[in-house]
Amino acid sequence: MRHAPYPVFVADGQGTLLLRSDAAGALLPGARPGAVFTDVVPAWLSAAHDALTEPGRRAGRAVHTPVSGAISERSFEAHSSVQDDNSVVWWLIDDTDHQLVRDALQMERERTEFLAKTSNLLLSSLNLERCMDVTAQLAAEYLADAALVIAPARGQRLPVVSCLRGDSPVRSQESADPDDVPGLDEALRGFPPVPSRWIDPGVAPDWMVPADFGPVGSIVITPLPGHGVAAGALVLLRRSGTAAFTEGEEVFARLFATRAGAAMSAARLYAEQAAITEVLMRELLPPSLHQISGVDFSGGYRPSEDHERIGGDFYDVHPAAVEGEASLVALGDVCGKGLEAAVLTGKIRNTLHALLPMADDHQRMISLLNTALVNSHHTRFATLVLASAIREGSGVNLRLTSAGHPPPLIVRTSGEVEEAATSGTLVGAIPETRARTAAVTLAPGDSCVLYTDGITEAKGGPLGGTEFGEERLQRVLAQCAGMPSEGIVEHVQMLASQWVGKGRHDDMAVVVISAPRTQHLSAVNGRTRGRYTS
Amino acid sequence: MTTKPPSSLRLTTVDTEDTVRIEVHGDLDYDNADHLLLAVTDKLAEHPRLGDLHLHCAGLELVDSMGLSILLMIHRRTSAAGVRLHLDDRPARLDRLLSLTGTLEHFTAPLTEGAEGSPGSSAEPPQTGGETTPAGPRDRTAPP
Amino acid sequence: MTTRTPYRPSAGEAVEDLAAELWKAVSAADERAATDAVLRALDDGLAPESVLIDVIASVQGRVGEEWAANRLTVAEEHAATAINERAVAALSVHPAARTNPDRGRITVACVDGEWHALPARLLAEVLKLRGWHVDYLGAQVPSPHLITHLHRTDTDVVALSGSIATRLPAAHAAITACQAVGVPVLAGGAAFGPDGEYARLLGADAWAPDARAAADRLARAPLPRPQHDHQPIDDLPHLGDQEYSMVSRSSTSLVRTVLTALEDAFPAMRAYSDQQRERTAEDLAHIVEFLATALYLGDADLFTRFITWTARILTARGVPAHSLPPALDILARELKDFPRAARTLEHGIDALAPDHRNTAGKTV
Repeated sequence: MRHAPYPVFVADGQGTLLLRSDAAGALLPGARPGAVFTDVVPAWLSAAHDALTEPGRRAGRAVHTPVSGAISERSFEAHSSVQDDNSVVWWLIDDTDHQLVRDALQMERERTEFLAKTSNLLLSSLNLERCMDVTAQLAAEYLADAALVIAPARGQRLPVVSCLRGDSPVRSQESADPDDVPGLDEALRGFPPVPSRWIDPGVAPDWMVPADFGPVGSIVITPLPGHGVAAGALVLLRRSGTAAFTEGEEVFARLFATRAGAAMSAARLYAEQAAITEVLMRELLPPSLHQISGVDFSGGYRPSEDHERIGGDFYDVHPAAVEGEASLVALGDVCGKGLEAAVLTGKIRNTLHALLPMADDHQRMISLLNTALVNSHHTRFATLVLASAIREGSGVNLRLTSAGHPPPLIVRTSGEVEEAATSGTLVGAIPETRARTAAVTLAPGDSCVLYTDGITEAKGGPLGGTEFGEERLQRVLAQCAGMPSEGIVEHVQMLASQWVGKGRHDDMAVVVISAPRTQHLSAVNGRTRGRYTS
Repeated sequence: MTTKPPSSLRLTTVDTEDTVRIEVHGDLDYDNADHLLLAVTDKLAEHPRLGDLHLHCAGLELVDSMGLSILLMIHRRTSAAGVRLHLDDRPARLDRLLSLTGTLEHFTAPLTEGAEGSPGSSAEPPQTGGETTPAGPRDRTAPP
Repeated sequence: MTTRTPYRPSAGEAVEDLAAELWKAVSAADERAATDAVLRALDDGLAPESVLIDVIASVQGRVGEEWAANRLTVAEEHAATAINERAVAALSVHPAARTNPDRGRITVACVDGEWHALPARLLAEVLKLRGWHVDYLGAQVPSPHLITHLHRTDTDVVALSGSIATRLPAAHAAITACQAVGVPVLAGGAAFGPDGEYARLLGADAWAPDARAAADRLARAPLPRPQHDHQPIDDLPHLGDQEYSMVSRSSTSLVRTVLTALEDAFPAMRAYSDQQRERTAEDLAHIVEFLATALYLGDADLFTRFITWTARILTARGVPAHSLPPALDILARELKDFPRAARTLEHGIDALAPDHRNTAGKTV
């Protein structure tokens, strides 16, 4: 026993140390035979001994689950066997190295899991603010007591997100010079690559330390590498009570920063692209319409592809430059679809805008538009309808001219639907144009419906493959008699969309010009005028 | 010959010395109208003394705005080459589209400009044949 | 589109008077009278939120009821809705409705294919009154638009509105897409069931029965960010049998088959005009669509509720509902290889003839 290669103790049921091996003596010099066992060994071992020898336990040889704990900075596993006389033999096995490996493995697992979580969270959003929030929160949760994410300056201000462990991220704009913080400017530039940098907590500016953080123990600034663009910097703070960053932790923080930087630079690029698209698209989007000089205008547009917001149909309403003159409505359809078509609609809309001074002469407008569009390289044409609308008493006078476009439909309050007698040549493909203008008067409650063939050529229906068609459109409009203009727009759009269902369709545009129903009804009885139940 | 889905465009050409006839079957639309333009352009290049180009339209199904644009371009090219374009056996639907867009007259008016296509000698042997070419851009069977 | 109208004793009478006045104006398609009444009530000190919820939403609820009872046509329903929308627009620019956004940012959108925008519009206005920065995207928002919007704006929550049950598969797609970009979803509207059971089933982060409850819920505590380990199929494991995909994909051919078989069974139908035939086909398409939705959700009751409701609506319109059971029979025959579909149709048939079937069923 004395020469056993492991530390061995034998103690009796009363807690007196009976025997110890030499190795045990070397480990715990105070543990001499005769000493009180629980006084000379660490608490975790004495507790285990007490548990084994408490009165009432059945005595006898038995093997028990080992316990573990530390003795002078090393880790031991203690195996016990209870003898017949209720004394206990304790074998201590040093498992310090094993434990280190286990801890390292555990930490690797946690880090891998953390990086996977980081990637998931960061990859799911293309929103820069959201990416900064997520980065700060994850860093504060796992890497430090607090974290700051600093984006490259916009103007004079640094966008900053800071987060205390366990808290929500807080955004701010700091008017600070990155040069005042050692290493920050280099980190924000993104190039040339710089390593993480320790800074003296004493030189950190106030804005870098979250309120109520307490004394700062250590600060490290890590660049967030972008893909060719500067993504920002990550600042990690630890309190003075907590351990400073180890080299391993710093390496790991850089792995995290790589992911965060990639996500943030992608989000920044997306935001820049989206902003450009937004500005360009603003000009191409259909306008929102409303009442002008006593005439109601409503419009609705659905591009052929759900992910697009623009296409080859267009409409505009131009109020008269001078009070007492007519407003001009233009609705049309250029051949082709998507962005390319939308760009051509932009050209047409601009040209029409420039031609507004001659809005009282539709033929001339169409002819000049045609000249502006005819091009030797292609025959991309447009068809359109021009409508001049002016309030006259309680009605609205219309002049309608089609340039190769389906003629507008007039919906009377009686439920009659008429086709306006106008026709003409398309614009942009052949040198000469001709067009015939129709004059129509809308009584209060009457409407004039301008539409593109995306509506009538919509294919679908309950049996599939049937065209929506002009007849059906006229039937639908007959039921819309007396409706407010936006109600008609919505009703037509809804029916056409439901008709196509999940199928493919062309761009669809509808504009409705209405003479408002001005008079209050004298006898209101909950019944609508002009009811057309089928 | 590769087969194509029934709705896509199929062209069958019958050439003689001063006349080309192209039978058009299927949809002349956004996705494949270009193929007809290519076929016509090739024929114009092949037959410098061509007098008449007949597009036989009975088999035409859908013609969308891109299809009409292509017909207008074909008209522009044939006129420039002094070739008379004929849209033969037009289905009612095509006629409706042409009248709605005010282009029917344009397509049917007699040739006016650039009509100096001289009826030269007939040194080349007349080419005939009823090849059905799939409407792929360049995979038409070339004459020997 | 039923909307609850809790009784508010404080301004109860003013609310009732205004609701009566607005209903008159809306049913007479008198826009001026409608907006005048609303603006006057605001001038008199009625709370804008109460006008939105207790007046406009309640009138809109009545519009839906009147339609169901065949006292309004679909077009008239649209007209009434348009006037209500104008009343909301007038309210939103009244000084009493002016607020400074001091809460988070919220996106209010209708499910793709959902045309009933008014409930969402009302919610948007209520949330604005409560201090939210609201992005209102309107009716039938395709998921790509919604997600693009979320990437571009830093939205805290999406409020998703749906009133038609058949749009629930699209709602599910929208909910999971929003959550995948880290934005939680509050679902609301009649489509999600009277107690929000479909909102839960489809994994929405929260549900509210009406605009006021939604605003209260959002005021109570922020919705937590969605977890990332969530897979949409986990919500609906039964989709593995592919019955939903099959039925929804072949819907037009099913409609055609049933229509032909019905014409064989009821020779009188052969005399139908094209329009009548098309309307019948539309009804059948609707049935198939609801069947597919019930299969998607794994809830046969949804179909049963729809079919009994349809029978009521048809009866209200003087159309005999006796062709419904044969249509379901034919569908069940066509879909006999699809056990869930067949069972769902069987429930529907039972529900249409409760007396007859129940007694027969007991003896089996």
